[in-house]
Amino acid sequence: MDDEPMGEEPIDPEVTEMLRGRYNAPPETPRDEMWAAIQARLEPRTVTVHSLEDARARRRTASWRPLGWAAAAAAVLVLGIGIGRMSAPLPKATAPVASAVAPNAGVQRAATVNHLGRTEALLTLVRADARDGRVDPAMGGWARGLLSQTRLLLDSPNTTDPAMRDLLGDLELVLVQIVRVTEVEGVDQGRARTEMNLALQGLEDRDVLPRIQAVVPAGPGMAGT
Amino acid sequence: MNDLELVERAKGGDQVAFKRLYDANVDRIYRLTYRMAGSDDLARDFTQETFLRAWQRLDQFRGDAAFSTWLHSIAVSVSLNGIRKADRHRKRERSLEDAAHLARTRAEVEPEVRERLQGAVDELPEMYRTVFLMHDLEGYSHGEIAETLGVAEGTSKARLFRARARLRASLGDAMQEYA
Repeated sequence: MDDEPMGEEPIDPEVTEMLRGRYNAPPETPRDEMWAAIQARLEPRTVTVHSLEDARARRRTASWRPLGWAAAAAAVLVLGIGIGRMSAPLPKATAPVASAVAPNAGVQRAATVNHLGRTEALLTLVRADARDGRVDPAMGGWARGLLSQTRLLLDSPNTTDPAMRDLLGDLELVLVQIVRVTEVEGVDQGRARTEMNLALQGLEDRDVLPRIQAVVPAGPGMAGT
Repeated sequence: MNDLELVERAKGGDQVAFKRLYDANVDRIYRLTYRMAGSDDLARDFTQETFLRAWQRLDQFRGDAAFSTWLHSIAVSVSLNGIRKADRHRKRERSLEDAAHLARTRAEVEPEVRERLQGAVDELPEMYRTVFLMHDLEGYSHGEIAETLGVAEGTSKARLFRARARLRASLGDAMQEYA
């Protein structure tokens, strides 16, 4: 408590203490029950006015969007080639096994970095859209494609780095949630928003974007292809 | 993530961010509304209404004051209006369940002295009682009270002074008897 008013002493400390303990003394806060009641009544928020900062961020991401889509399309081709090369039968014992695995690992590394770069672009756009209170249904197809590739990489015996496997596992979860969001968006807006919040929460809690950025070199040549 | 960032996310419809704001503030809000209302049912209603209004009016929060201060000003307004409407604060009856929560500070004190002390707080005018509860019973500073009630700090101090003076005047010997 801060300074006393106008030199007036508090009423007797014992009386104050008695009142503190007895006068409408609050019980333990029923946090969960109240939250359940509040959550049931929370209406979806519609954001109609953007701050200048939001608007600028929105323009920045919007101007990159066509590039993002083009990069995604190109990368699908590159990844397809990479996977095709990985899954092609090895020449018959013309070289030791170790040397046959090494080039595949290099190809897969490049494909993985490329894949992470495209996933980062998707997640950034989805997050920006979510902050603006909207979901772009077109993201669903993109997320589905990335999800399939994430699973291919997870299933690949060349993905041996535990940190990379963890990252891909987290990506798989977030991508599944984004796909779900786009699936229910036109049907149940409340559920879509909840799913989106869960996806964003997972993204934040598990530091997915910083971990991707630690792997993917910055700049347009990120794919390393 | 700080409060401002959470508010920005909540403005975009992020209920997870809003839940974090709820978790950080609900205890103080519930305690205050309970002190003011004196009943669990009313305190729950006022607390829930406070957070629902905050959610609906997030766009009005500009960050000039702390989010918790803004939330408290909603809580006090909701509670005062609710108490006036219910008109229960002067003739409230404590349920046995609520009484079970009350800690016995001095078993030897005569029940009627305690009742007189509590009745005297009930009888304080609303503006004095609110400041007294916030400052002396819940430990808010005059700065916090002033921001919450939208008055000057000096006004908060003056109201507390008058609240205490009235309590002394109305209790007199009962306070001495207790002390």
